[in-house]
Amino acid sequence: MNEPATFQLPEQMSTIAADVDWLYYFIYWLSVVLFVAIVGAMVYWAIKYRERKGHKAEPTGHNVPLEIAWTIAPIFILAFLFHKGFTGYMDMSIAPAGSMEIRVNAKQWGWEFVYPNGGSDSELHVPVHKPVKLVMGSADVLHSFFVPALRVKRDVVPGMFTTVWFEATHVGQDDIMCAEYCGGRSKDANGDELPFPQMTGHWSMHSLLHVESEEDFMKYLVSIGDKCASYTVKGQVCPNNILVEAGQSLYTKKGCVACHTTTGAKLVGPSWKGIWGKTESTDHGPITVDDQYVRESVLDPQAKIVTGFPPTMPPFRGQISDQELDEITAYIKSLKD
Amino acid sequence: MAAVDIPVAGGHAADAHGDPHANYLKAKRGIGSWLVTLDHKRIGLMYLTMVSLAFLVGGIFALLLRIELFSRGKTIVDGETYNRFFTLHGAIMVFLFIIPSVPAALGNFFLPIMIGAKDVAFPRLNLLSFYIYLVGLAILLVSIVSGAVDTGWTFYTPYSVQSSNSVISMTLGVFVLGFSSILTGVNFLVTVHTMRAPGCTWARMPLFVWGMYATALMQILATPVLAITLLLLCAERFFGIGIFDPKLGGDPVLFQHFFWFYSHPAVYIMIVPGMAINSELIATFSRRAIFGQFAIAMSSLGLALLGFLVWGHHMFAAGMSEFATMLFSALTFLVAIPSGVKVFNWTATIYKGSILWASPMLYGMAFIFLFTIGGLTGLFLGTLSVDIHLTDTYFVVAHFHYVMMGGTVIAFLGGLLYWWPKMTGKMHDERKAKIGFWFVFIGFNTVFIPQFIMGSRGMPRRYYDYLPQFEPFHKVSTVGSWILATGLFITAYTLLEALWKGKKAPRNPWNSAGYEWLTETVPPLANFHQPPVFTRGPYDYHLATPEELATGEDGREVSFTTQMAAKESTHPA
Repeated sequence: MNEPATFQLPEQMSTIAADVDWLYYFIYWLSVVLFVAIVGAMVYWAIKYRERKGHKAEPTGHNVPLEIAWTIAPIFILAFLFHKGFTGYMDMSIAPAGSMEIRVNAKQWGWEFVYPNGGSDSELHVPVHKPVKLVMGSADVLHSFFVPALRVKRDVVPGMFTTVWFEATHVGQDDIMCAEYCGGRSKDANGDELPFPQMTGHWSMHSLLHVESEEDFMKYLVSIGDKCASYTVKGQVCPNNILVEAGQSLYTKKGCVACHTTTGAKLVGPSWKGIWGKTESTDHGPITVDDQYVRESVLDPQAKIVTGFPPTMPPFRGQISDQELDEITAYIKSLKD
Repeated sequence: MAAVDIPVAGGHAADAHGDPHANYLKAKRGIGSWLVTLDHKRIGLMYLTMVSLAFLVGGIFALLLRIELFSRGKTIVDGETYNRFFTLHGAIMVFLFIIPSVPAALGNFFLPIMIGAKDVAFPRLNLLSFYIYLVGLAILLVSIVSGAVDTGWTFYTPYSVQSSNSVISMTLGVFVLGFSSILTGVNFLVTVHTMRAPGCTWARMPLFVWGMYATALMQILATPVLAITLLLLCAERFFGIGIFDPKLGGDPVLFQHFFWFYSHPAVYIMIVPGMAINSELIATFSRRAIFGQFAIAMSSLGLALLGFLVWGHHMFAAGMSEFATMLFSALTFLVAIPSGVKVFNWTATIYKGSILWASPMLYGMAFIFLFTIGGLTGLFLGTLSVDIHLTDTYFVVAHFHYVMMGGTVIAFLGGLLYWWPKMTGKMHDERKAKIGFWFVFIGFNTVFIPQFIMGSRGMPRRYYDYLPQFEPFHKVSTVGSWILATGLFITAYTLLEALWKGKKAPRNPWNSAGYEWLTETVPPLANFHQPPVFTRGPYDYHLATPEELATGEDGREVSFTTQMAAKESTHPA
């Protein structure tokens, strides 16, 4: 853990942190001024006009301009706060093109981070000064990915992907915590209490973020990419993205090839070539082809049908694992022009 | 409204419970007469007993939580038990204490009196709501004894669908309690519309009654949604119908929408009654009408309306669309306006008043102090980019405790001290009440100010154990909880002591112009000996006669006959 940046806020490690903190302190000082004015006036008047002999309350009059003023004036401040908060939020929501994607699997009670080379780890390593986009899914209940120094937090929801992105500003370390309550276990199967260090739960769903130099990060990737090792042994070159290769083999194994081409030619279903990131019109309005849409279209193909195609694809819910979904998605992604 | 029927003698309440002129506490004797009473005052006292017990139990859980968090690692209980404790603390405080506290206890007792009515519109329904509350409470207790509900009071899916079976009995309990809430709300609405005494026009209606009215509206409109949600939860659990559980094709975020569609209005069901009491305290102890009385009344209705439109602000980090997030943020900021108007108006009322520093007024001013902090910290949470950092941390815990406890509970305590003489006929010891107040006020801030700081530094909520950097804040917070508990016990002792050692209370110990202080202490069964006719507003100190404002040591009701003769023409048509 690092020294906090200020008394109230932790260290800043992301590009958005300074903006968030500025707004935080703006609201803080605004609140201090308002609080001192209101409570100061209340206490001062309550003493000055305290009940005593010879003092009588003045009947309450009306002051319409004053009442209108203090109803209207806050609107301007509130509009400013809304605007700053919303634009800041949009900056956090939209990942820059070309962000490095890392898959996050949350489960009771731990994190798994899967890197583009197929290697995985329980701690998160990222290169400094590079936008990183986390595509997060949960295996069981709700979780929430929270790194105080990055000022990011996003719920991880079973059955869908949520994303969060950030760009680290300097090399360092911070805590990754779960911020959405997800239960806990402190007894063994016989109902006997476990010793404290073995109790696990929401509170123990902790991991570390390591922000590293590009060079260190590359070394780290090699160290966890054990799948690459098998290629090296065989004297082959390790592919850039092992997921893509796995996805390509699933493309034939699962029979996708019958209806979807990878050349741009149209069969029963849309071709996968160049479809990633495109906005397609569907029977439910326009939709961007992203992780969420691919996942939905594999599990439940009738949910949103791209215009001009028949609703004939069988649903794959229960017949395909999360890992396989990731591989298919990676393959479709690789077919982007 | 001149046609309103105000029977004094006769009527069903009198038939069932004897002489309408008798002191309501003594009109009939024996436990049995309480259990079947149709008198709104007795029902109010029975509710008060139950909600006080609920507060005690919920408070004990809070103290246990704070002790557990005093140091890192295991302090007194294991992790699963801790999870159950905070679930019970939240569920008991929300569903058994805060929601019924002010409306069902103080509202039941004073709403009819403050509009000059003999009882609520449906006395039998009122008794029924009390028993439904007891049934709900019993179901909740069963689930506590059978153990193991550890979902938090929000019952978020899919965890709540997978965890222990007691979740169902607990939600069933909440479901039943909801009906009690709805029936009380209906009763109050009808009472306010049809039973106001001549002269109690909408414009003159006491602000406490306005607050109860706005609360009743919310209870009727919002509570059914909770019932639907909990039924869907049961359907999923028992029949495997996929609604919220992604394994069955459901959507867990849908539950959050449903839940907060009820529970956000519920936040206003909790705070508006507190504001309503506070308006009475500030007016009485400043000896003048609330500044901008109309604005205060309308802001209660404004909060009731806005309360329905902002549920999404609990879910900014939950995976809603950016567009929905933007709308909810904008609407959330609007809530600041009626809340601000109330605070400004209370403060302006003190200006040029004549302020009596009695114990209820200390709570009235503490309400302004604490609610202002609670409200201003809401600005951080409404601001999207800042909320992302703060949501689901202790900052949020501190924020809503400043509103719920610093607001509603403080107002409830102030209201109890304020109305205790009228309810019981006994005066409490002011010195003890003030000592209790300072313990509560200092203790409360000691508990929750460190929680703001550890929250903004990144301490998540609902953690059994925490990282070392948060330990000093947790220690201070826990010590604060002991100060706070001491204050609450002193206050409880002060109130109970008054029952057997207190001096006989006069009619109007605080020299208030409020309608409820015109009737005898202790009020008769029919609330007033004569049909009341109000010729002035409840805060018109400059129009009140010296007799009305006098303490009235003999405790007897102010005579309405002279007023009627003098101001017959001013009755509203």
